[in-house]
Amino acid sequence: MIRLQRVTKRFAGGTEALHNVSLRVDAGALAFVTGPSGAGKSTLLRLIARLERPTRGRILVNGQDLETLPRRDVPGFRRGIGLVFQDHRLLLDRPVHANVALPLEILGFRRTEARKRVRASLDKVGLLQKENASPQTLSAGEQQRVGIARAIVHRPALLLADEPTGNLDPALSREIMELFLDFNRVGMTALIASHDLELIAALGRPMLHLENGRLEARQQPPAGKPA
Amino acid sequence: MKEPAERAGCLEAWLHNHADAARRSLGRRLHAPGQTLILIAVLGFILALPAYLWLLLENARELSAAVDHEPRIALYLDNTPETELQAAVERVDELQGVAGTTAQSADQALARYRAGLPDTALLDWLDDNPLPAVIEVLPLERTPEALRNLESRLRQALPEATVVSDHEWVRRLQALHRAGTRVLLVVGGLLALGVMLILAVAAASELRERNEEIAISRITGATDRFLRRPSLYTGLWIGLGGGLFSFGLLWAGVHFTRAPVESAAAAFDLPLRFATPETQLGLILIAAGLVLGWVGARIGAAVALHADSHP
Ligand SMILES: Nc1ncnc2c1ncn2[C@@H]1O[C@H](COP(=O)(O)OP(=O)(O)OP(=O)(O)O)[C@@H](O)[C@H]1O
Ligand SMILES: [Mg+2]
Repeated sequence: MIRLQRVTKRFAGGTEALHNVSLRVDAGALAFVTGPSGAGKSTLLRLIARLERPTRGRILVNGQDLETLPRRDVPGFRRGIGLVFQDHRLLLDRPVHANVALPLEILGFRRTEARKRVRASLDKVGLLQKENASPQTLSAGEQQRVGIARAIVHRPALLLADEPTGNLDPALSREIMELFLDFNRVGMTALIASHDLELIAALGRPMLHLENGRLEARQQPPAGKPA
Repeated sequence: MKEPAERAGCLEAWLHNHADAARRSLGRRLHAPGQTLILIAVLGFILALPAYLWLLLENARELSAAVDHEPRIALYLDNTPETELQAAVERVDELQGVAGTTAQSADQALARYRAGLPDTALLDWLDDNPLPAVIEVLPLERTPEALRNLESRLRQALPEATVVSDHEWVRRLQALHRAGTRVLLVVGGLLALGVMLILAVAAASELRERNEEIAISRITGATDRFLRRPSLYTGLWIGLGGGLFSFGLLWAGVHFTRAPVESAAAAFDLPLRFATPETQLGLILIAAGLVLGWVGARIGAAVALHADSHP
C-alpha cells in the first residue's frame, strides 16, 4: 500500500526532517510511527498524503508513484485517504456535524445518506450528543475526536492519523485505537503516529521508530517493516 | 481506491453538488446582504446605462424610418420664366427613375407666400420676385443608391438648378445612428469589462475569506471545480439580481424622461415616441447580467484559487 524508497525531506530553512527513509506498509496492515518530538512523524504522514513533496527519493501509494501523479489526479487520490491532524483543523464557523460532513460533501453524497453517516461516525467517537455544538465549545479531546470522526466518515481505504489520541485519557485512547482496529479488520490500511508507547505496544502491531529523521527498527512483525 | 458503496451515482452526485453549492451560496448571500446588494446595484446601474442609450438610438431609428417613407428631391431654379420652367419639367419627366413631378413657378410661389403673410405691404416694396421656381421630383426607387444616382442625373440635366434632397438628412440621421451604435458598443463593452472585474475582485475576496475551509477541503480531496462552484453560483445570483434591477431602472428612467424627450422632439417637428422597454430587452439584460456575473466569478476564482495552490 505504502512504499517509501530512500526518501529525504529537507525544508526551505535547511532542516532535514527525514533522512533516507525507506519503509513499507502492506495493504490491510495497521502500523504505528513513533519517535520523539521533531523526529519527523508529521512530515512522514504529510508526504504520504502528498501534502509535501520529498526532496529526494520515491513514494508509492497503492502502486502509484506520487512524483508522477498528475496534478489533476491529486484530489481523487486524496479522497481515498482519511487524515487526522495533530491540531484537528476543524472549521470554527460551523457546527460539529457540518465539520464531519465535509468529506461526504466533496464526494457528493445525498443529504439523507450523509446525515446518517455523520451520525454513525460521531457515535463511534462518542460525540453524538455534541452533533450541533460549535467546535469552539468542545474540549481539546472532544475536538480531536471530531477530527477522527471526519477522517473516517467516508470509510477511506487508507487512514493517516497524526497523534489521534494525544489529548485523550487512557480509557478513551484505548477506545479510539480499538475503533481503528475495527476499521482495519474490514480492510482499512492505517498508519498512526503516536507517543503513547505503552498503549500501542500492547496492541502488537508493527512500529516504525523515527529518530532525528532516521528510521530505526524496533519491532518487525511481517505486515510492516523498514525495507 | 475503493469508492464507498453508498455513494450516489456520478451524475446524481454532480447534480447534488450543484444544488448544494447553489443553496449554500444563496444562503451565504442572504446572510450577508449588504455587500450583495451593493454588487447587484453596481451591476444594475452599469447595465442600465447602455440599455437606456440604446433605447434612445432605437427610437431615433424608427423616427428616421417614419420620415423615410416618401423621399422628395426639390430643384430650385432662379430667374426662370414660366415657359422655361415648362421645358425644364419636361426634361426632368423624361429622366430615368422619376415617378412624377410637381412644378411651382416663382409667381405661384410668391402668391402662396403672400397668402401666408398677415401683412403683405412689405412685399410690395420689392421690385423683383426673390423666390425661385421649384420642381418637386418624386423618385421611383427609394434606396439611397438610387436616390444618389437620380440626384446626379438631375444635376446634369439642369446644371443651373439647386438640387436639395430631403433624403439627405435621413441619410445623415442613419449615419449618426450607425456611429452612435458603434460608440455605444465600445462604451458598453468597456463598462461590461469593468463591472466584470469588480465582480471578479468580490469573488476573489470572498474565496479568501473561506481560506481555511478551502485548505481543509483541498486536503480532503476537493477539486478547484468543487471549491469555486459556490462562487460561480454567487456570480449567477448577483447577475440575476443585477439584470432585474437594471430593467427596473431602465423602466423608471424611460418614464421619468419620456415627457421632456418627446416634447423636445416635437419642438423639432419630429414624431418621436419614447417607447417603454419591452420584455425582450429585460431578458437580454438578465442574460447579460448572468454572463457577466458568471465570468467575473470565474476570473476571481481562478485568481484566488491559484494564489494558494496546493503543493
Ligand atoms: N513546514 C516546515 N518548514 C520548516 N521546517 C519544518 C516544517 N515542518 C516541520 N519542520 C521541521 O521538521 C522537523 C520534523 O517535524 P515534524 O512535525 O515532522 O515532527 P514530529 O515528529 O511530528 O514532532 P511532534 O511529535 O512534535 O509532532 C522539525 O524539526 C520541524 O521543525
Ligand atoms: Mg507531529
